[in-house]
Amino acid sequence: MGKVIVITSGKGGVGKTTTTANLGAGLAASGQKVCLVDTDIGLRNLDVVLGLENRIVYDLLDVVEGKCRLRQALIKDKNFGENLVLLPAAQTREKDAVNPEQMSELMERLRRDYDFVLLDSPAGIEHGFKNAIAGADQAIVVTTPEISAVRDADRIIGLLEAAELYDPQLIINRVRPDMVRKGDMMDINDIDDILAISILGVVPDDQDIIVSTNRGETVVTDKKSRPGQAFRNIVRRLLGEEVPFMDLQQRKVMHWFKRILSGEAQ
Amino acid sequence: MDDIERLIGEYGMRLNREPLTRPMPRPQAEPAEQESPEVREDNTLLVRRTIRSGQRLHYDGNVVVMGDVNAGAEVICTGDILVLGALRGVAHAGAEGKIDATVFAFRLEPTQLRIAHVISRAPDEKLPQPSGPEIARVVENSIQLSVYNH
Repeated sequence: MGKVIVITSGKGGVGKTTTTANLGAGLAASGQKVCLVDTDIGLRNLDVVLGLENRIVYDLLDVVEGKCRLRQALIKDKNFGENLVLLPAAQTREKDAVNPEQMSELMERLRRDYDFVLLDSPAGIEHGFKNAIAGADQAIVVTTPEISAVRDADRIIGLLEAAELYDPQLIINRVRPDMVRKGDMMDINDIDDILAISILGVVPDDQDIIVSTNRGETVVTDKKSRPGQAFRNIVRRLLGEEVPFMDLQQRKVMHWFKRILSGEAQ
Repeated sequence: MDDIERLIGEYGMRLNREPLTRPMPRPQAEPAEQESPEVREDNTLLVRRTIRSGQRLHYDGNVVVMGDVNAGAEVICTGDILVLGALRGVAHAGAEGKIDATVFAFRLEPTQLRIAHVISRAPDEKLPQPSGPEIARVVENSIQLSVYNH
């Protein structure tokens, strides 16, 4: 029986979809059978960041309304085939087209065939969020190191605990160590002080993410990508391994050597 | 007992043998000053968790929170509020007019403090970090924070 994990945040734009895509691909790369579900009805994005939007024929709503079989709606990933499938959201409908009971039933069906079912939740705390958490076993809360995001994450954690999704885990995304060092950005301890839930991972901010999501690719398999490394670490932690947090400090020493070697004036 | 029963029976009365199990109600103290309505001091709620953003706690009596009160959370009660952690949200003590109600916290960093009808907010400039537990009370119609030493 698989684990159903909802990835949520409250705040929009903090990286839920990117995280869902990268964790899904990372788990599949580790040999797990993964199903990704986009629950953001009306504003679907998970298909776009995986480069699968051209392959959508049926979606979540078609399955729930019985217009197709579940198998027909699941789209195989370009790289991982059967081990990573996507159930896309409907783009032309609205969030109240499905209810929590239907989502719960759907999760029961999916967990029989997959090791991990990752649900990409929409932003907000209303119907879309309530649908996304129905049927989930555990939750991952994504936040960025900004006061408004942390405030919303706190709200979401309260709602998750009220829905009996205890011990959610935190991913702090888009961290900029140079800003943290200058005191312009919240550091991990400030965030932990307020949210007080276990930290699953810390992902550095990186321009490559914009490039990769635009191209419909993930970074988790890219050995040179720093956010990719962070996602790989998170995947290992999800699989039960203890992995120390990445050192996000920029290596100033390397930068200085490069300047000397290229003969630039000191 | 039987003799007493017989004796009062001669006067047309009956002895009630039922034992008194309810505690005797305390006589209602006449409130001396009308501005401070009586708050039952034994009515205190203990909350043993952090109160998160968007959560609201209403209570008739005093409230003790073993945890934080996060920004966006509200604690409203008729008596005192004690936060054994960081108070970052809104606390309204003495909500029905008890002007001598107090708000205490290990780290008093609220967005707004209200005692009875008096409201005050944190100043816009970043305050220096509180050095330790502090208590807030109304002094001459405004809220003052002081280091806690009873």
